[in-house]
Amino acid sequence: MRLSAYPAFTTTAFQARLAYRNQVWASVFGELVATFAYIAIWTAAFAGASSVAGVSLPDMITYVLLAGSLLNWRTDRLINELGESVRTGDVTVFLLKPFQYPGFLAANHFGQYAFDQIVITLPVAIIVALTVGLLPPASLFHGLMFLPYAALSWLILFCLACLAGLLAFWLLTVFALEWFLRGIMALCSGAIVPLWFMPSQLAAALGYLPFAWVSYYPSAVYLGKLDAGQSWTHLGIGLVWLVALGSFLAWLWARARHRLVVQGG
Amino acid sequence: MLRSLALIPHLVGIYVRTRMEYRGAMLLAWLSQAFSYAAMYAAIAIIIFRFETLGGWAWPEMALLLAFHLLAYSLGAALSFVQFRDIEEKVRLGTFDAILVKPVGPWLFIAFSGLNIGYGGHIILALGLMIWSLTQVSADWTMLTALYFLAALISAAMLTAALMTMIGATALVWVRSRHLFSIFFGFWELARYPLNIFPLPLQVLMITFAPLGFLAFIPTAVALGKPVPLLGDWAGPASLAIGPLFVLIAMAHWRHCLRNYQGAGG
Repeated sequence: MRLSAYPAFTTTAFQARLAYRNQVWASVFGELVATFAYIAIWTAAFAGASSVAGVSLPDMITYVLLAGSLLNWRTDRLINELGESVRTGDVTVFLLKPFQYPGFLAANHFGQYAFDQIVITLPVAIIVALTVGLLPPASLFHGLMFLPYAALSWLILFCLACLAGLLAFWLLTVFALEWFLRGIMALCSGAIVPLWFMPSQLAAALGYLPFAWVSYYPSAVYLGKLDAGQSWTHLGIGLVWLVALGSFLAWLWARARHRLVVQGG
Repeated sequence: MLRSLALIPHLVGIYVRTRMEYRGAMLLAWLSQAFSYAAMYAAIAIIIFRFETLGGWAWPEMALLLAFHLLAYSLGAALSFVQFRDIEEKVRLGTFDAILVKPVGPWLFIAFSGLNIGYGGHIILALGLMIWSLTQVSADWTMLTALYFLAALISAAMLTAALMTMIGATALVWVRSRHLFSIFFGFWELARYPLNIFPLPLQVLMITFAPLGFLAFIPTAVALGKPVPLLGDWAGPASLAIGPLFVLIAMAHWRHCLRNYQGAGG
């Protein structure tokens, strides 16, 4: 199957989400409430201080939207879809089709991600920008640099979620794996607390793990907390992590396909 | 009525036996959920250690709030969440009709035939955190305070189960109700923080239409002697009354939805 066919899966996934309008309204409302809640939490934490550890409240408000809504997308759909297809045996149908299953998953979930960003995050960002205010990128360089960081973030999180989902071939359940990943991302990605505010030794350790490239580094680049040299260096390290995770995913997928035993159908 | 109540241990026993067939998966699920909540709480602890307090709440007080939130939710949700979330699917497939013809009340059957022991990890973590935080907070605990704390916990669990019942029952009329659970969990997440840090409209919402301020903040604030915005001295009695009140509302809503159920599949 040609590579050009995969965007069709992205478009289909996007359109499928449009069918459930009530869920869209509920999601926008939920995201709006959650975003304003985190803004309130940081406002209360700053308690009138103009900056803490070189970070201002407007920095943190922008960080909440970037690190949380934009970059830390919901991986539970992907993990549960993978787990369910293994549990029901539907994965065999995908194996018979003339495409790569991980490629199909990437195309499909990118469609869902695009839907979430355009239909849910964008309206929330506009409301936040008009009411509380959002900061622009620190400079043109940081704005442009944010783009490859955002792409890297999506791909790393996709690899992590796929790795967790593929373990269903061995464990036959993904429930626990999804919760483990959720916990790891809550603490280690910087989606809730940026590494600036963590104890120095913990921040140093987390700063080298791939999870930090999902939320923390892209947001830090956007806000200009990394200079040009640091931005290029961390982009390089992130790419190394992506290659490592992608290779591990390819290896695990090859192993998983060969140990598949379908019990139902 | 008594015959129906006598069925409860049997319904629970059957479900527990089915879950215990996959002990490894269940223990792994407990561990993973407890880990996930602990990671989230660690993130909150980091914020408080960095900024000293959050809305005037120090870490041991916040730990008590988080523990109360998780324990009250787990007790209520064990009786309701998965069971009533899945009503939508039962309505769509037409299998809810089979529940209606059973010689037992449909609510009782749904709630107890799926009594979720998967909340074990939540409960163990919540109890551990609660015991630790109770030894750390500087509050004058009397027998009356302890009784209030226990009664407020039961009331908060009743509130959770009542809200879940109402959302699930809505699927009998609307066919879909899962999106309402998304809204519930949006407010549920806010309920683990002090109410006073939120803007006034959100505070009003959290004690009226989405009364999850009563899930943890209000009872914990009353027990610790902290001020409760908007309610003041009424916070204590209100937190005890909210659970039974919402159970009555949920009963009326459940009956209304049952009366108007027309089926959607088959």
